[in-house]
Amino acid sequence: MDFLAEGFRRALTLLASGDAEIYGIALLTLKVAIVATVIACATGLPLGYFLATRRFWGRRAALTVVNTALAFPTVVVGLLLYGLLSRRGPLGDLGWLYTWQAIVVGDVLLALPLAAALSAAAIQGVDPRVRRTAETLGAGPLRTAWTVAREARFALAAVMTAAFGQVVAEIGAAMIVGGNIRGSTRTLTTAVALFTSQGDFGMALALGFVLLTMALVINVALQVLQGRGGG
Amino acid sequence: MVELRQVRHRYEGRLVLDLEQFSVPRTGALTVVGHNGSGKSTLLRLLALLEAPTEGQVVFNGAVVPRRAPASLRRRVTLVEQRPILFRGTVRQNLEYGLRIRDVAQTAANGIIGDVVEQLGLQALLGRRRHELSDGEVQRVAVARALALRPDVLLLDEPASSADRAAAGALYRALAAERAARPLAVCIATHQLEDAYRWGDDIRALAEGRLSPVTPENLFRVDLPAGDGVKSVRVGNINIAVMTDRTGPVVLAVPPTDIFVSREPLPSSARNVLSGRVTGMAIEHRGAGVHVRADVGGVELVAAVTAEAARDLGLSPGNAVVFSFKATAVQVF
Repeated sequence: MDFLAEGFRRALTLLASGDAEIYGIALLTLKVAIVATVIACATGLPLGYFLATRRFWGRRAALTVVNTALAFPTVVVGLLLYGLLSRRGPLGDLGWLYTWQAIVVGDVLLALPLAAALSAAAIQGVDPRVRRTAETLGAGPLRTAWTVAREARFALAAVMTAAFGQVVAEIGAAMIVGGNIRGSTRTLTTAVALFTSQGDFGMALALGFVLLTMALVINVALQVLQGRGGG
Repeated sequence: MVELRQVRHRYEGRLVLDLEQFSVPRTGALTVVGHNGSGKSTLLRLLALLEAPTEGQVVFNGAVVPRRAPASLRRRVTLVEQRPILFRGTVRQNLEYGLRIRDVAQTAANGIIGDVVEQLGLQALLGRRRHELSDGEVQRVAVARALALRPDVLLLDEPASSADRAAAGALYRALAAERAARPLAVCIATHQLEDAYRWGDDIRALAEGRLSPVTPENLFRVDLPAGDGVKSVRVGNINIAVMTDRTGPVVLAVPPTDIFVSREPLPSSARNVLSGRVTGMAIEHRGAGVHVRADVGGVELVAAVTAEAARDLGLSPGNAVVFSFKATAVQVF
């Protein structure tokens, strides 16, 4: 128990002292998570809308692929991406291996199916009359999609929260393609893993607190946004 | 204005609509009657260009509509569904929705909204949200939202189903006012014959996705004289005896199934005994019934008889025929 209590004490001291390394890692994690979430949602939500509203050949197969991708192990994604980004890989010329951009790509690959599958389910839950009504009132495809999305705003906000949660907590791909390089690609999760293995339980715990706080703040912010405007 | 040609429409392989030809004329008020599941709502969705038929063509203003109708074309037709839905936001925001899409300036939009709100008596509801409205109010707001767009064709699916009679009256008066003010094609689907008789210039019946020859025909717009009991009114060259207390302008309907058909006048209690000639015969979809069309004194009447009766009477076009019906069989709307 002393070991745990000591860990907590050290964590609080580190946080209170404004340890530059901790805040550097937190800022990088936030940057990666926000960029990856924005990209994953900007592509995943329209894809989900498309899957939910259009009838086309292969739609069922596409939904199966998306749903299967939900359960894709993060280390496997990291591994495949490593193969693509390594110097001898097809995307090696980009020089992205062991950069924060590589972590973003890995996170997007993991969060995109989540955003697509969950938003497809959210859109399917909207009364089909909404779409028909928007169309009959003269809305084009974009306006119709916006109108339908507005009706599913709570569910779609939950999708964005889930996508953010996925990328911020992801470790497998970040470790493999990011490399956990100090001051460059070390994120909160990879750092927690590293400090734990090094026996620096206090540092790991402090980073864990930051991670939890970050998730909490983002969730509260989204809830505040959702709360605006009535039915 | 909008026309369906050789349309066969299927849902998951099941044929739900099979129409050789169906058109809504430019300034007509057409009512489509039929039971639930007869294909009325599907018909309206095709006419609204929201769906493309599985087979056949939709023609708008003389031009064939592509399978994915462009928004510019869809904006000229507006459908109000049977159970309409309002979007999130206030009634006013709902009324503004289509106007914003059409880039109508705020001042002009306010004027239009003011007009429709007054027509449909929605003044008190403008600031309310959908969960604060009754079903009947939602329906009126939905009709107002459609009327505000000044469409060329307005399609209404059971527009008065949730409204009380007074609200339904206001709704139909608003439609009549709009039609009087500008060219507007209206098509109303209803299962309430009373609405159909009252508001339709022309009535079509739909049964199992097909136009049914059992159209509620034999409609006459007349002016009833004052008084009670049996009244006689002039229609064309004939007089029709009708039992009613109503006076003034009404629509008389003689249900085709209430007409007795014979080759010669028969002694009976029927106050209306009309002689004429058979002008046409139509066999019902399933072949069990025949619709006998006859010219009686310059007025065309349709009577429904069984195929067996038509055979026994030896009816064929050109034959002399007598149509009889009771004064109490005549419905007044």
